[in-house]
Amino acid sequence: MTKILLTGSAGFLGQQIARSLLLQGATDLRLHVRNKAPAGFVEGLQREFPQANIEVAAANLLARGSLDAVMQGVHTVVHAAAGMKGAAADMFANTVIGSRNVFEAAGQAGVKRLVLISSFSVYKTDQLASGATLMDNNPIEPVGVDKGPYGYAKTRQEHLLGEVKQQYGFETVVLRPGVIYGPGGGALSPRVGLNVMGWFFSLGGGALLPLTYVENCADAVARATLHAPDGAAYSVVDDHLPSCKAYLDGYRRHVRKLRVIPVPAGLFRWGAKQLTGYHKRSKGQLPAVFTPYVVRSMYTPLRYSNAGLKAIGWTQRVPTPEGMQRTYAWLKANKR
Amino acid sequence: MLKIAIVGCGKIADGHVEQIRATGRGEVVAVCDREPLMAEQLAVRMGIPGRYTDASQMLAETKPDVVHIATPPDSHRFLGQLCFEAGAHVFMEKPFALTEAQSREIVELASRYGKQVGVNYLYNYEPPGLALEQLVAKGSLGDIVHLDTSYGYNLAGDYGLAVMTDPGHWVHRLPGKLFHNVLDHVLAKVVPFLGDDIETQVVAFRRRGLTGSAIVDAMPDELRFILKSGQVTVTGNVSAHGRPVQHHLRVTGTQDAVELDYTARTLVHTARWAQPSALGRLFPAWVQAKQYAGNGWRNLGLFRRHEYHYFQCMRVLLGRFYDAVEGKGEAPITPAQILRVTRIIDQIVAGIAAQDEAHA
Repeated sequence: MTKILLTGSAGFLGQQIARSLLLQGATDLRLHVRNKAPAGFVEGLQREFPQANIEVAAANLLARGSLDAVMQGVHTVVHAAAGMKGAAADMFANTVIGSRNVFEAAGQAGVKRLVLISSFSVYKTDQLASGATLMDNNPIEPVGVDKGPYGYAKTRQEHLLGEVKQQYGFETVVLRPGVIYGPGGGALSPRVGLNVMGWFFSLGGGALLPLTYVENCADAVARATLHAPDGAAYSVVDDHLPSCKAYLDGYRRHVRKLRVIPVPAGLFRWGAKQLTGYHKRSKGQLPAVFTPYVVRSMYTPLRYSNAGLKAIGWTQRVPTPEGMQRTYAWLKANKR
Repeated sequence: MLKIAIVGCGKIADGHVEQIRATGRGEVVAVCDREPLMAEQLAVRMGIPGRYTDASQMLAETKPDVVHIATPPDSHRFLGQLCFEAGAHVFMEKPFALTEAQSREIVELASRYGKQVGVNYLYNYEPPGLALEQLVAKGSLGDIVHLDTSYGYNLAGDYGLAVMTDPGHWVHRLPGKLFHNVLDHVLAKVVPFLGDDIETQVVAFRRRGLTGSAIVDAMPDELRFILKSGQVTVTGNVSAHGRPVQHHLRVTGTQDAVELDYTARTLVHTARWAQPSALGRLFPAWVQAKQYAGNGWRNLGLFRRHEYHYFQCMRVLLGRFYDAVEGKGEAPITPAQILRVTRIIDQIVAGIAAQDEAHA
């Protein structure tokens, strides 16, 4: 029996990963939380999986000293904790320094296997032509700073994993989810568009939206944790992906009305160039949230592959239409 | 061009680098942080050539004219001395120091080494702050009678989130915790109107629910205080729960009163009831609307001239500080004002402690 430590287990994805690991046969799980587990979360798992040993360990990942005890007796670490919001420096600290602390503590405690939840944002996609397929072995950004604070932090995190793999000899597995969605998650990804002063600017248009329903994504993480070979990296997306426009139309039909302004791709690219120029001329008076590089990297219509995951036995538990239906219902009920 | 270095690579360092560059007066040659990854991220994101984990080494190798210290305040006394000894002027991020005693040591060290020391009391340099400066210089308000200041804080915002999610965050180590980190913003605006003898009354409490972290939960989030100095009084309100998040100052003089909104970047004279009867009460709203329209027009002009950045106030302050460094003007914030701010913070912290003891 091998003990698995899951960091960020109280998060939107983390809670589902915990359940997926147990569903797929893990029997000894240590759940890391920052302060305390959400009410009923651990109790629910214990009721559903009475034979499993489920522990909770509270620790601040930014405090290196608090992690030694958390790592004791652990064979595999699934590292799902990351900084999702805040200022650039905080996002970096919560993602990269937190990871460095986890990796170091794991190395010193003799952990054998590290599974990292990375992101689509690390892929270097600016060179891909419209209609190309993003494969698991697509190169990742060398630095990532041009992708914005989140992309930079996640890219540095992956490079860090490569460094500690050399240093400590871990087995490593990386999962790079697309847009994780589901009840409890966000409403509309920036890939779909942006809400500005009561108007929704539809940016994704007919491009496929690389969705992964949170339970399907968690299943992929669990499958890879238990079965993927050392050094593997996987894109995590579901089958039967909708276009950004189709997802937005569904949101407007099932959740709430939106005043939508469709932005054609050419106009979007031109606008990004103008904004970047204005940002420089005005000494940063308006932030360059969209640069031509970001637009090229994130909004070029691509196809996506989950063949790598299927090769290790992952199957999509929740079909995409049902996932979207559940998500819209939750968003409507919670006025998102 | 001044050679400038940054010590401390947390989120406020971004603002320093951007505004140093925007002044056109300095080149950021190096950054330093004890955490190498933090130094790396700032240098990489901002394209800065030098990155260090040892401040002494950075000072020796890059020989900066000015060092911006953006570390937590418990390191300011030590780092300030290091910089002065290396021949650099210092621009300090607030809080200036942990206590008035430490602040006094820093100010005295600057004087001993013949260097300028400034502090990022930026809001006095917002458009309404600069307009108030002119009104006071002209004596338009008469003698100051009372100031009322409100400062809202969003615990779910970028800064609040960092404090709420990390029990190891340095704010939790400050004697006055969250308030200690924001009172500079509140007090820097009122100390020019106060003397050195100041009476203080304080009420502080935690309004939010428990998080499960004893350290985070020990942090109060609502503060009210009254100051009295000679014939001038100040009421203050720091609130994490009031919405919208406010940032106001109301200044009442013997001749006129003005209301400053630092978020909306407006300054208006308080409405007067100059005409009799109900008819007289028809006019003030239109008079106020005209004042706000004037503010809006001015702000539009600032935006058009690219002088309306979120941290434009820091840009103005830095311009004046670099003038002082280059011997072209007076220091924008005097040592006396810095010491007065830190003294009042000491008094408010003592007031909170006394209140907690009384409740215990």
